[in-house]
Amino acid sequence: MKLTWKWLLDHLDTDCSLDQIIETLPKLGLEVASVFNLAEDLKEFISVKLVEVYKHPDADKLNVCKVFDGKNTYSVVCGAPNVRQGMIGVFANIGTFIPGLSIILKKGKIRGEESFGMLCSEKELTISENHSGIIELPEDTRIGISIAEVMDLNDPVIEIEITPNRGDCLGVRGIARDLAASGIGQLKDLKVSKVKGEFDSFINWKIDLNDGKKNLCPKIFGRSFQNLENKESPDWLKNRLLAVDQRPITSLVDITNYIMIDLGRPLHAYDVDKIEGDELIVRQSKNGEDFVALNGTTYKLDEDMLVISDKHGVDDLAGIMGGERTGVTEKTTKMFLEAAIFDPISVAKTGRKLNLHSEARYRFERGLDYDLPELVMHYAAALVQKICGGKFSKIVNFQLERENKHIKFNPDITYKLTGVNVENKFSETILNKLGFKINSIDAIWDVIVPSWRSDIDGVADIVEEIIRINGYTSIPTTKLSRNNYIAKPAMKTKHRQTFFASRTLASRGYNEVITFSFVNNVMAKQFKGGSKALNLVNPISSELTDMRPSILPTLLQAAQKNNRKGIEDISFFEAGPIFIGDDPDEQINTVSGIRLGYKNKKDWKNELVNFDFYDIKLDVLKTLEAIGLPQNSLKVFKDTPTYYHPGRSAVFKIGQTVIANLGEIHPEINDFFGFKNPVIGFEIFHENIPFPKRNKTSRPMLKLTTLQSVTREFAFIVDESMDSDKLIQVAKSSNNDLIKDVLIYDVYKGNKIPIDKKSIAIKVFIQPIHETLTDTDLEKISSDLIAVVNKKLSGILRDE
Amino acid sequence: MIAELKDKLLNLSDDISLLILGCSNLNSLDDIRINALGKKGSITSHLKNLREYDDVSKREIGSLVNEIKDKINQEIVVKTQFFKKEILQEKLNIEKIDVTLTPQDNDTGTLHPLSRTIDELCAIFADMGFSIVDGPDIESDYYNFTALNIPTEHPARQEHDTFYLQPNNDGERKVLRTHTSPVQIRTMEKIDLENFDEIRYIIPGRTYRSDHDATHSPMFHQCEGLVLGKNINMGHLKGCLIEFCRNYFNAENLPVRFRPSYFPFTEPSAEVDIGCRKDKDGSLSIGEGEDWLEILGSGMVHPRVLEGVGIDPTVYQGFAFGMGLERLTMLKYGIPDLRPFYDSDLRWLKHYGFIPVDNPSLHSGLNGVFS
Repeated sequence: MKLTWKWLLDHLDTDCSLDQIIETLPKLGLEVASVFNLAEDLKEFISVKLVEVYKHPDADKLNVCKVFDGKNTYSVVCGAPNVRQGMIGVFANIGTFIPGLSIILKKGKIRGEESFGMLCSEKELTISENHSGIIELPEDTRIGISIAEVMDLNDPVIEIEITPNRGDCLGVRGIARDLAASGIGQLKDLKVSKVKGEFDSFINWKIDLNDGKKNLCPKIFGRSFQNLENKESPDWLKNRLLAVDQRPITSLVDITNYIMIDLGRPLHAYDVDKIEGDELIVRQSKNGEDFVALNGTTYKLDEDMLVISDKHGVDDLAGIMGGERTGVTEKTTKMFLEAAIFDPISVAKTGRKLNLHSEARYRFERGLDYDLPELVMHYAAALVQKICGGKFSKIVNFQLERENKHIKFNPDITYKLTGVNVENKFSETILNKLGFKINSIDAIWDVIVPSWRSDIDGVADIVEEIIRINGYTSIPTTKLSRNNYIAKPAMKTKHRQTFFASRTLASRGYNEVITFSFVNNVMAKQFKGGSKALNLVNPISSELTDMRPSILPTLLQAAQKNNRKGIEDISFFEAGPIFIGDDPDEQINTVSGIRLGYKNKKDWKNELVNFDFYDIKLDVLKTLEAIGLPQNSLKVFKDTPTYYHPGRSAVFKIGQTVIANLGEIHPEINDFFGFKNPVIGFEIFHENIPFPKRNKTSRPMLKLTTLQSVTREFAFIVDESMDSDKLIQVAKSSNNDLIKDVLIYDVYKGNKIPIDKKSIAIKVFIQPIHETLTDTDLEKISSDLIAVVNKKLSGILRDE
Repeated sequence: MIAELKDKLLNLSDDISLLILGCSNLNSLDDIRINALGKKGSITSHLKNLREYDDVSKREIGSLVNEIKDKINQEIVVKTQFFKKEILQEKLNIEKIDVTLTPQDNDTGTLHPLSRTIDELCAIFADMGFSIVDGPDIESDYYNFTALNIPTEHPARQEHDTFYLQPNNDGERKVLRTHTSPVQIRTMEKIDLENFDEIRYIIPGRTYRSDHDATHSPMFHQCEGLVLGKNINMGHLKGCLIEFCRNYFNAENLPVRFRPSYFPFTEPSAEVDIGCRKDKDGSLSIGEGEDWLEILGSGMVHPRVLEGVGIDPTVYQGFAFGMGLERLTMLKYGIPDLRPFYDSDLRWLKHYGFIPVDNPSLHSGLNGVFS
């Protein structure tokens, strides 16, 4: 909402300066977006007399002008067609910033003639689009004075952000009323003389709505005008409209726009001669009906849009935009003016369906002053008569009686809700100034809400009005101290899990990323998602259509983007949601990561090594350990989802529950992204980890032995397809008491080993418990181990 | 006889001392020791030939031999130490590495600035007794709008640029939550009024709006806050949010301004600004100067919202607030643009990211160290 300083003063009687007003507005909830004063930009432009004009010696279309500002004479080269000796023009000296051209003027030399400034057009001053010639000021204009003063441009423009509840402040008067309530001045009376028309209106209203639908148009007023002259508006009107970004058209249109800004009250003007018949009908549209709006676009209406029509068809989309056919033009001499109240929801629905935005719709949606239509008929009539002459008719109207809202208000509630003590008397004053009426000042007040405040409908709203005007600075600052003696942990288990997982992964070299929750449909399907329930109706682009079923695809995209910038060694992780359905419990928080490229740089000491499956396996194990899951509680399976390499991926489970997937990304997906080397990834489903409910902080007793542990090494030849961890399990099981650990230190295939076999070398750590083991004891442990491996895995001890 | 022997021994001792003095390495020193003091050594052997002497002479010779042995031993120890030092010195002269060579760099990773901000917020609010809760990104129209007093066709809806999902089998069209506020409703619905005293929740999370340009991202982050009890008033709102702003920006005297505003789900509502100075070069100093910067929205929970979840607004009241986390992060850590937050450019992540060991807490400090 834009208004000018002088416009505001039409409604507000105040001694305050503009700066004071600017400072006050935000305190009332009216946020100032900008303050702009064209006069500031134009203060260096002055009126001059063109004392001498002669043809440029070397250019037909140019003139050389001697201009006089009352003190000095300057020589200026000018190409404007309307330049002539004796005229008064607008002059900019060297060094002046020209806003319309965005340049600082320099001394010029045009075909040999020096030019010490410029004579300006309206466009160059940004006061209009007119660039057909230089500005010609009236002959009696004093010279040497600022153009802002000459043209009455010294009127700062204030732009205010109006919150959706304050429809009443979409007019200058509403803003003035709020300012007045805050004590910054007095709201002036709206000067309206109620004059009866001289003749009967050419047009009458017909309400063609079912009883149940009458509320769509609870009030509508109209009045006819004749013998009008619809010409260009006077300067004061044009300047005001231009200042608030309204393009002047013709007087009648300009007047309706002026009143919309002035009182926040949209009007619609019809050309009576173009209306078929003598009735305008308020009805709902028929399905498929066409409507050509003032913007030149044809809209297909459906069956329940509120319209105003004549015999011929729709003339006005109620509360949104008038029609082209019956709109006023320069030729209009008879006008019918409409001011109505339409149902805001109906207006919003129609506007949204047709995707048609207008200043009128914006105001109708936010609620209009129910009592204003009648008054505005007189207000507008006076203005029309002043500018366009003519006569006006009696008023024709239809209206449903509607009482102003009453709210039962206990003034103590202000303190209870806000902690602010406002004297009852002062609360009353504030409410009165805002237009509220208070019927009974007992313990409970009967507060009557003014007709323009449709947003007020409860006790809390009234409290806000009181403390808003009283000032938010009066709200006390009360410390919200901890309400419990024991500090409760803010994090739940799942938050701790991501907290620790993130830190573990980052300390292992991963960079945390945050990627979008959506992917394209192909990618979603590739990663086992892409269902209809997770598909967006209105995606921002075709690449962001589906809620992601896994974090991996967005991580791969992130890596790809980096690859394209020449960054190839990447370790990324993300902790975030994935979606398997649209129910709240079908959103799962996961931690996912990928590694690709080299795990180190080639340097004087090290050769390059690629990341491989085992790097990621360790990352996952360490992460799980950090969030409280010991390695030995996990079982390894191989039924990974299809987006992993089938032979180079694994699943960690507890029982049947998947805790993590990890492995090389499927080569087809890898190729799709154009990665040169395999990418290894993982997904941790930490919410699946069962957590025992325990509050115990003490740990099992640590028993340290002084007996030294012994190691023995073995190499077995086993089937090539056998999982290595079986050998570890079996070897351990040969003596669970004494064998503490089994480590695989070599896996060998090839020479001397049959083609379907492999050799696995293990180191076994034996820890005596009660006494040192004798050679015989050790011999027994070894032979038992060899026998069990042989029996359970058909493993044969390899001869050295 | 004795005197002769004594002379001989003393001469022998002198000879050996000379040998030790002239000896050039540890091996020959050892030879000298064996030749002199070994079982058959020149000195030791004299002890064996004492039978022919009387007891007095025996004692005299014996003590002389022992004296000589001690002296030679001492000389050998000194010489040995000398050689060992020499050997060590030689070794030290050879053992050199080029300390200017670059070590193998196993880069530590980084945490994203946004998760850093969330951690900082949690630390501040945890101290005020808040707990973290979260809710779904995919919401029903009811939770995202209606329950928050934003009915269909409400003008405030138009400002939300909502993403919709395909209608499900019941014809219901779910939305991607446009703010974290629906979690207010979900948490209040779970309140057991029989055993209810007060709740304090913060709700950080992902939010979505169908808008994409230099200052808008279709996905962004908010943190919601909710405090509800019997005696929570707007003074608490003010106290809590001032404490938050000053802690977060680590500025004890940070000016904080509350300004009337409008949110459908709070009444009265307040926009919160912090004091700053906007310099002409675009830089910003928080806590100084005359300008104001809007950083969060807040208000007393709207009575209609409370009624909607079955809570009597004449008994319970409280406040809620919401803030954009990208903006807070950008302001605190001087990150100029929004878009790179989601671009995953490794260079950006390394530059603006945080080292994983730096956990924000009130006792270790909240101002993060860049990686």
